[in-house]
Amino acid sequence: MVEKIKKKSQWREMWDRLKVNKMAMLGLGILVILILLAVFAEQIASYEDVAIKMDTSIRLQGPSKEHILGTDEFGRDMFARIVHGARVSLKVGIIAVGIAIIIGGTLGAVAGFYGGTLDNVIMRTMDVFLAIPSILLAIAIVSSLGSSMLNLMLAVGISSIPNYARIVRASVISVKDEEFVEAARAIGARDNRIILKHIIPNSIAPVIVQATLGVAGAILSTAGLSFIGLGIAQPQPEWGAMLSGGRAFLVQAPHVVAFPGIAIMITILSLNLLGDGLRDALDPRLRQ
Amino acid sequence: MSNNILEVKNLKKHFDTPKGTLHAVDGVDFTIEAGKTLGVVGESGCGKSTLGRVILHLLDSTSGEIIYDGENITKVDKKQFIDLRKEMQIIFQDPFSSLDPRMTVSEIIKEPLVIHGVTKDKNELDKRVSELMSTVGLVDRLVNAYPHELDGGRRQRIGIARALALNPKFIVADEPVSALDVSIQAQVLNLMQDLQQEFGLTYMFITHDLSVVKHISDEILVMYLGKMVEKAPAKELFANPLHPYTKALLSAIPTPSLTKKRERILLKGEIVSPIEPKPGCRFAPRCPYAEELCRTTEPEIEEVSLGHEIVCHFVKEINKL
Amino acid sequence: MSNEFLSIEDLHIHYITQEGTVKAVNGIDLKLNKGETLGLVGETGAGKTTTALGILRLIPNPPGKIMDGKIILEGRNLLELSEEEMRKIRGKKVSMIFQDPMTSLNPVMTVGEQIAEVIEIHEDVNKEEAKEKAKEMLELVGISGGRAGDYPHQFSGGMKQRVVIAIALACSPELLIADEPTTALDVTIQAQVLDLMQGLKKEFNTAMILITHDLGVVAEACDKVAIIYAGEIVEYADIESLFASPKHPYTQGLFASIPSLDEDVERLNPIKGLMPEPTDLPSGCRFHPRCPYAEAKCSEMDPKSVEVGAEHRVKCLIYSGEVSGKGIENE
Repeated sequence: MVEKIKKKSQWREMWDRLKVNKMAMLGLGILVILILLAVFAEQIASYEDVAIKMDTSIRLQGPSKEHILGTDEFGRDMFARIVHGARVSLKVGIIAVGIAIIIGGTLGAVAGFYGGTLDNVIMRTMDVFLAIPSILLAIAIVSSLGSSMLNLMLAVGISSIPNYARIVRASVISVKDEEFVEAARAIGARDNRIILKHIIPNSIAPVIVQATLGVAGAILSTAGLSFIGLGIAQPQPEWGAMLSGGRAFLVQAPHVVAFPGIAIMITILSLNLLGDGLRDALDPRLRQ
Repeated sequence: MSNNILEVKNLKKHFDTPKGTLHAVDGVDFTIEAGKTLGVVGESGCGKSTLGRVILHLLDSTSGEIIYDGENITKVDKKQFIDLRKEMQIIFQDPFSSLDPRMTVSEIIKEPLVIHGVTKDKNELDKRVSELMSTVGLVDRLVNAYPHELDGGRRQRIGIARALALNPKFIVADEPVSALDVSIQAQVLNLMQDLQQEFGLTYMFITHDLSVVKHISDEILVMYLGKMVEKAPAKELFANPLHPYTKALLSAIPTPSLTKKRERILLKGEIVSPIEPKPGCRFAPRCPYAEELCRTTEPEIEEVSLGHEIVCHFVKEINKL
Repeated sequence: MSNEFLSIEDLHIHYITQEGTVKAVNGIDLKLNKGETLGLVGETGAGKTTTALGILRLIPNPPGKIMDGKIILEGRNLLELSEEEMRKIRGKKVSMIFQDPMTSLNPVMTVGEQIAEVIEIHEDVNKEEAKEKAKEMLELVGISGGRAGDYPHQFSGGMKQRVVIAIALACSPELLIADEPTTALDVTIQAQVLDLMQGLKKEFNTAMILITHDLGVVAEACDKVAIIYAGEIVEYADIESLFASPKHPYTQGLFASIPSLDEDVERLNPIKGLMPEPTDLPSGCRFHPRCPYAEAKCSEMDPKSVEVGAEHRVKCLIYSGEVSGKGIENE
């Protein structure tokens, strides 16, 4: 028997195109390292024993053998705090974007598929949200709900709902007029099947790109909120809060500010590199 | 006793547009005999694709009647609608956009079987898919391929297999070969003829290509701006076109031959869109024979010889009948 | 001195991609005299458009690359000119009409401005004169000069293609390359546009390369025909001898694939199989896997172009006597 053509899914194909993009692979590489650090944070440095353990006798020390990134103003190990901070930042970033995608995506898909009045109501509401700067919106949400990790995620997530609603709506509208949707109708498919089987798989590409870039944005927002004291409470390490805490010692111990700053920068950069790479890999114009 | 599978009476489909009501299909009547092919020809904007979609209930009709197999299906409930899907199918023009790029060949062909719950058994489904693939001449090897990995001809075969999956009796083929190269076009036309014989299918074959329509049709309906202008058996229409539009249309086809040159009738003007059409004959603004009557009064259908119907005030004068 | 105007010799154009090298054009030879129309006929992916873009040196690079060959226009090899010299040729000496009139006009410029633009670039005129000339060009293609201030979306498809033709002819080019100029149009409109092009060509004595897949259009409009398959010209002839007796099995197959309007054929007789992948062309004669007369030799030997009549060349081993070609129809 002749060998059948192997099923080569869209993911596989996207990967084939992504892996030749050096910058995207660099971004992905850094991201994988960050995720590994976050996952094994406890194994790398114990939270109880190292990350939040204060020892004022060694405060504000520069990098050394025992503390490779030095210590902060309470003598805590910076490296352990950054590693544990990665855990918080990535978790908040990913979950916040998850919330935004689920709510925004559903609203956008409904608006795009059904159109008419429903579309108008949903999208005008989104426009109202978009008119408020997202950081202000997040500040408002956190200050009314109180600052906790969950509220932080909600705040950052909710403030980016309109973005996803718009992207998904635009994508659904362009897909729903495709002939294959009409073809599905012609063989008797119902609306829910058409949305789930045909429209969503075909409109997911721009959402993936936006989500990657969105995680970067969410991490930045979280850091910003923490910086102004609305984020994660002490002593839990969070990059934005670390920046904020260290700014008083900027002159005498610049590393206290520099390392969390670099951590944020590297994370954002890697996500953006990957996001750009994904955008290219998923670009239909390059397909063929 | 007639053997008509489909009868369409005064069918209309109007769309509301910002510029006014678009009379896409504006009172079309015809019948198709079971096992035969009706060719519907016309240029862009003549309403031929809309007509096909209205008959299949992919679009709702504005008024008129559609009678399928003796049953009035103009208005159907959900249950009848699902049943109709098994009887009537469509083959689309564009083999690129009419197949979901995220689904494999087998998933595409399987979908109608799954939707209609023909069988739940996975082996049975796979068997049916491979039967259908061999029916339309697709090798088994391609079962897990994605449409974009295949050329236009093969993609169109997938579309045909999907249409055949539920054993329909009536198929609307909307420009099924226009997007294909000539050599592939011929392969697909042959396939469609074979399938018609094998399964006793009835086709409504929509196209702008007159040589294709002549080849495949038993009867041809010529449309212009939502209206029928002429209908005749295929041979008769080409041998003896009577409507001035049909004549111009036939004369405009470039023939791949130097010896059989046609006398070219160049029409003046462009095709306009049928938004808020003026009274009278739709073709009057471009017709070389148009007179005052044509601009004010709509012509009626006239049967000039057996099965040859024409809609023109001056058919007798123009053709010296 | 012959009146040979354009000659293409052994042109090779490849697209180098990650998936492999696409050999789009593989050794094309063509000649064109002043005022003549050459039809370039072939199916999707045969290399028609690549050849045309190659003449204008507009192959997107990367991935495209002209590997080898000469394109000689009035004694000058275009492939050796600088980009600046080439720019002066485009639109002035050689201009091109693209297939889709919907996308080849800029939607935010009036048609008058678009015609005037090409005139301003190539001719020593001021804005006012260019505008006047643009109006004249519109009149020439059968559109009232008063519509020069209209935008493309205010025109129908056929009218837009007339505008495109007006732009192409604005600087009275000596060579016009028309890439499927009527494919997107309805038949009655196609007839009008073909008629217009024929008339203008005569008036300006322009040479033309007409790219098409439609042998009917060729019969209407061309003097010479080149049939192109997998980047090679398999048959080249003047139109009379090609239509009277097509020689190459591929050409014959093309004719047999078209449903005839004059004869009743129960079944068409298509060429079997599919176009070869341009990244993976068959050995020997490119057509042999689909050829009904192919013999073992066809997969081994690369056929040479042989003369079978006055200005009638065929690239097939049957005509160089290497292969019997039993059953092939020839009169």
